[in-house]
Amino acid sequence: MMNYIWGGMLLLGIIFSILHQDVSAFTDGLMSSCTEAVEFMLSLAGIMAVWSGLMKIAEEAGLISKISKTVMPLMSWLFPKEKNPQIISMMIMSFMANIFGAGNSATVFSLKAMELLDEENGHSPYASNAMCMFIALTMSMIQLVPIAVIKIRSDLSSASPEDIILPSILAGLASMIASVWVCKIFERKSPDA
Amino acid sequence: MPDFLSLFSVLFLPILITVILVYGLKQKVAIYDAFIEGAKEGLKTCVDILPFLIGIFIAIEALTCSGAMDFIESAVSPVFRLFGIPEELISVIFLRPISGSGSLVVVEKVMELCGPDSFAGRAAAVMVGSCETIFYVLALYFSVTAVKKMRHAFLSGIIGYFVGILASIYICRFL
Repeated sequence: MMNYIWGGMLLLGIIFSILHQDVSAFTDGLMSSCTEAVEFMLSLAGIMAVWSGLMKIAEEAGLISKISKTVMPLMSWLFPKEKNPQIISMMIMSFMANIFGAGNSATVFSLKAMELLDEENGHSPYASNAMCMFIALTMSMIQLVPIAVIKIRSDLSSASPEDIILPSILAGLASMIASVWVCKIFERKSPDA
Repeated sequence: MPDFLSLFSVLFLPILITVILVYGLKQKVAIYDAFIEGAKEGLKTCVDILPFLIGIFIAIEALTCSGAMDFIESAVSPVFRLFGIPEELISVIFLRPISGSGSLVVVEKVMELCGPDSFAGRAAAVMVGSCETIFYVLALYFSVTAVKKMRHAFLSGIIGYFVGILASIYICRFL
């Protein structure tokens, strides 16, 4: 599926730039965006190294298994088959980092969790139920303080920049309930592929 | 309340780091060596995801810089009007799933145009505060796995996204 989506996006871009008689915009965009991708990776690399390093300490100190034991009751409904303490902790760290608005750190924990889930899934080409649930949760995880938007609002002299916090949390919860519900329906239909 | 939340968000990472370091020292872990070893693994992951990042970035840029995105938006905007979604928010709804920084720019434009405390301005802000860049997340997260078929990860993301969008709009009408 990714093949068609990706190819389609690029081809659509080329067709439209020809229709708009502005092919150079496409070329310029292509060139600048691949540089942006590398720059983004570099900006992520430092954080990735720091968190992976700190997590290694936590793992060797036994903190990871301790955390996973604490959150197990909460997670066992969402991930009924998940027993690996490392995966559980990485997932909970990713959720926490998301909630506290540390986006890049959350990405690091999530990628680590996905790597481990992939191992557990035997590197199968089919996503496991746990993977789907985890991704569904991260995609809809609420953020306590959406700092970027609040900053924009206060720059534009809003009367109270923070008054979007409660609506954001409520909307985020609605979205989270919906995604988890969809996942649970699919899990019932196919216990695991 | 917001002050308390912001303070909590600011303190989260320093507290977490302190707990890890102190706990590591208490358990007599060679924390520096462990850190270096872990950091190496982290950098390896970084190199692994780079090809995927480049792939995602160029495909998104192709859609936005060529005007294809604008065309898709105007083609489906009648459907959104049926749901009572204001015109200004349509580009936010379309850009948010694929680009975090791109959608912030659009939200800023909406707020400049309609005012940060207008209905559209607030709804746009709430959308960005509550909805994630789902396509980007899907592509990036699966890039470290061997998965070729995402199964219901895609559908649950899309449904969750639209519920979030509609909730943002309806909640902002009342709150």
